[in-house]
Amino acid sequence: MSEYLNNIVYGVKSFLTGMKLTMDHFRNKKELVATLQYPHEKWPIPERNIGFNHSEYNLIRSRLHVDIDDCIACMQCERACPVDCIKIDSIKPPKGSEIDCGMTSNDTQKKMIVSRFTIDMSECMYCNLCVFPCPEDCIYMVGGPNAEKHEIDYEFSQYKRDGMIFDFADTTDEAIRDAGGEKWLDQRDATLTKHNDGVQLKGEVKSVKPEPTAAPIKTGAPISTTKPAAQTTESSGELEIKSFNGISDKMCRGIAKKAFMAAKRAGKDAVAILADVAQALSEAGKMSDEIQSILDRLSVSPSKAVAPAVEAGGDIKVESVPDTPEAVEMKEFDIKDLNAIEDKMVRGTAKKAFIAAKRSGEDKVEAVRKTLADAGKLDAAAEDLLNSFSGASVELSAPVEVATLSESAEEAAVEPKGDLPLFEISDLNGIDDKMTRGMAKKIFMVGKRAGKTRTEVIADLRLGLTEAGKLDDATDAILNKLKSEN
Amino acid sequence: MTSIFDSLQQSLAFLNLDLFMLLSLIALLGGTVIFLVMAVNALVAVYFERKVSAFMQDRLGPMEVGILGFKGGKKFWGGIGQTLADAIKLLTKEDILPKSSDKFLMILAPFIIFSGAFLTFIGVPFAQNIVISDFNIGLFYIVAMSSIGVIGIILAGWSSNNKWSLYGAMRAAAQIISYEIPIGLSLLLVVIVSGSLHLGDIVQWQESNRWFIFHSPFTFLAFFIYFISIVAETNRTPFDIPEAESELVAGWMTEYSGFRWALFFLSEYANMLIVCIVASIVFLGGWLSPLHLINIFPESWYILDGPLLGLFWVSFKAVILIFIMMWFRWTFPRLRVDQLMYVCWKVFIPFALANLFFVSLWELIF
Ligand code: SF4
Ligand code: SF4
Repeated sequence: MSEYLNNIVYGVKSFLTGMKLTMDHFRNKKELVATLQYPHEKWPIPERNIGFNHSEYNLIRSRLHVDIDDCIACMQCERACPVDCIKIDSIKPPKGSEIDCGMTSNDTQKKMIVSRFTIDMSECMYCNLCVFPCPEDCIYMVGGPNAEKHEIDYEFSQYKRDGMIFDFADTTDEAIRDAGGEKWLDQRDATLTKHNDGVQLKGEVKSVKPEPTAAPIKTGAPISTTKPAAQTTESSGELEIKSFNGISDKMCRGIAKKAFMAAKRAGKDAVAILADVAQALSEAGKMSDEIQSILDRLSVSPSKAVAPAVEAGGDIKVESVPDTPEAVEMKEFDIKDLNAIEDKMVRGTAKKAFIAAKRSGEDKVEAVRKTLADAGKLDAAAEDLLNSFSGASVELSAPVEVATLSESAEEAAVEPKGDLPLFEISDLNGIDDKMTRGMAKKIFMVGKRAGKTRTEVIADLRLGLTEAGKLDDATDAILNKLKSEN
Repeated sequence: MTSIFDSLQQSLAFLNLDLFMLLSLIALLGGTVIFLVMAVNALVAVYFERKVSAFMQDRLGPMEVGILGFKGGKKFWGGIGQTLADAIKLLTKEDILPKSSDKFLMILAPFIIFSGAFLTFIGVPFAQNIVISDFNIGLFYIVAMSSIGVIGIILAGWSSNNKWSLYGAMRAAAQIISYEIPIGLSLLLVVIVSGSLHLGDIVQWQESNRWFIFHSPFTFLAFFIYFISIVAETNRTPFDIPEAESELVAGWMTEYSGFRWALFFLSEYANMLIVCIVASIVFLGGWLSPLHLINIFPESWYILDGPLLGLFWVSFKAVILIFIMMWFRWTFPRLRVDQLMYVCWKVFIPFALANLFFVSLWELIF
């Protein structure tokens, strides 16, 4: 019995103790709540010395910073880094040139231009080893409470992994070119293109493949309506080395071009040249569907009149025949067709442009496309709609040479759903004003990295330049040219 | 004493409806009111509970979701829209019926539990005259109706065809049936003293004498027995062995999701509100203001005592009791099954019986 009562007393006691404990926490929540409402509040970074005699570097190692104006590109830091996450490229101006690379704040004459200085902070292990060898004290860790030069920022979070690569070099392409870095620029652009292609290819090989029907329709239409024989003979001479640019793989493109040149020098005709190219490619084991179809496009015009000498040419003939009737059936572009556009605003804009084009007698499809792109409303659906008419209207509006057509068909075939391929950054060199050019290139690179299409990039460019008040007539003309150049 | 039912009947008389139509109209209105009370109660109580638990564990609880951009207090009481968002999320969730479950019973069970809570509300007075229907035997009705839920729990556990669910349901049945006894015995004290099962009369008695909790040492003890037992009755920690998430996943609710699970949730919090209102009416003076307990307040304060403020005082006491239930929940670890039964059969029931005896003596002597 006494144990029973003791139990009850003990139970009540511990009950009260427990209740008191939680109540204390409830009441003293002001001091006790441990939660930090992270994006709204942040802990201060604790003060800590990294242990060397750099009193001004008394900071936590949260990110490397480079005062790029002081960097003499001596590569000491790159060499010191145990994980090789610093990458420096420099360009030495040729002897005798007048280029001044600048002075560092230690009054050292710089002898090189730093064209690239990237640090991949996702690889960096914050060992600080790169900091000490620097003769100019220009690479150092930032981001502590005592950092005066730089804001306290210890998150450095990025939405994409690429963002962890911080680029410190600020030399313009212009300056690099002036310093004789043409080759370096080419190399960089090639790498960028390659990366870009890789990104586009990733998991979506299908979309890069040509649309099976789009191209034959385009090329088929004029052939079936105009004098085929005359044109094909002409066009066989038009087969150019450029025609192979549609091949996205660099290696394949090289092989194709080599074979082309060899065949051309030997004085062969277009069909034979294509046959040679096809053979060279398949010998190298590089013959893919994509390339096959490009070759097919190229051979459409020659093979129409000449008997199919090559397999590739033969294929296309079989393919293109059933497609031709479709092309003939295509109706004219009518304002009613625009009703298929879903968005009300877009539809309105498109119709306005259509009527304007009709009055002025321009190519309606192009006019509508341009207006929409300018308004930034050209989405995939509208693009498709317009593309479905562009073949017909091209035929109706102007006699176009088959060579141009086949080339445009080839380009259209490489890109998914009729989007034109992105132009090269060097196309923007036509812009006179340095500032404008720089800005345009920046926008271009942003668009390119984001995988935008040609029209989108051009729209971006237009928008960006207009905003900066830099869109003069000459630039406008260049952009227009880029847009229609296909 | 009139009820909402009566006053509705009177005020709707001008419509000249026949009796059947009139009754259905009143039932509809009354039902809507009850449902709204239950829903709002669940929304507020869940938010409150999350905050209380957070503060007791040195956390902050929901802080981000607001209603129309208003998040509530900056420092501690933010995130007032959280439970509303959760409710909407729950209702849009997929409603899963396991393949080998007993589909009919599984769909039926949450509605039985819900009707249990719903029906109980009919007899619960929120203040003087604010009761859907005023029963003579209100206390008895409430005790009887609140046990309907256990049928639903057993059905839910059985029909889910899941071992956890069945274990949970069995435990729930054993627990609820056991704890009904100390609850009944403690309430019986009040009935013995006041001589009525009518909740209005019980409050009347407290008005003319004193609150039951202060009536005698035995009713004081009875209040605690009652209060701890209702914690067990509503399956809340430390008596939540039917749900016991660390042992039984979610007990009898394991297989439920979406709307039906929301019904369980609604009923759980409704039951909490009911038992706390009953406790405050029966033991804590109901709609009487506590100002009379210590007569130190100036005369002007007694306007707080008016009949209009009855609703306020009942909810005030109920909220405090609910807070204590939450306080329990976030203080104590779950009891073992044997400990649970020990507390009920070996501690509460003997003490409640002794209480009954001594209160009867007390009534004889004084
Ligand atoms: S801190 Fe270390 S790992 Fe990071 S860049 Fe410098 S040397 Fe390389
Ligand atoms: S060590 Fe200093 S100066 Fe040399 S490359 Fe690195 S940052 Fe530039």
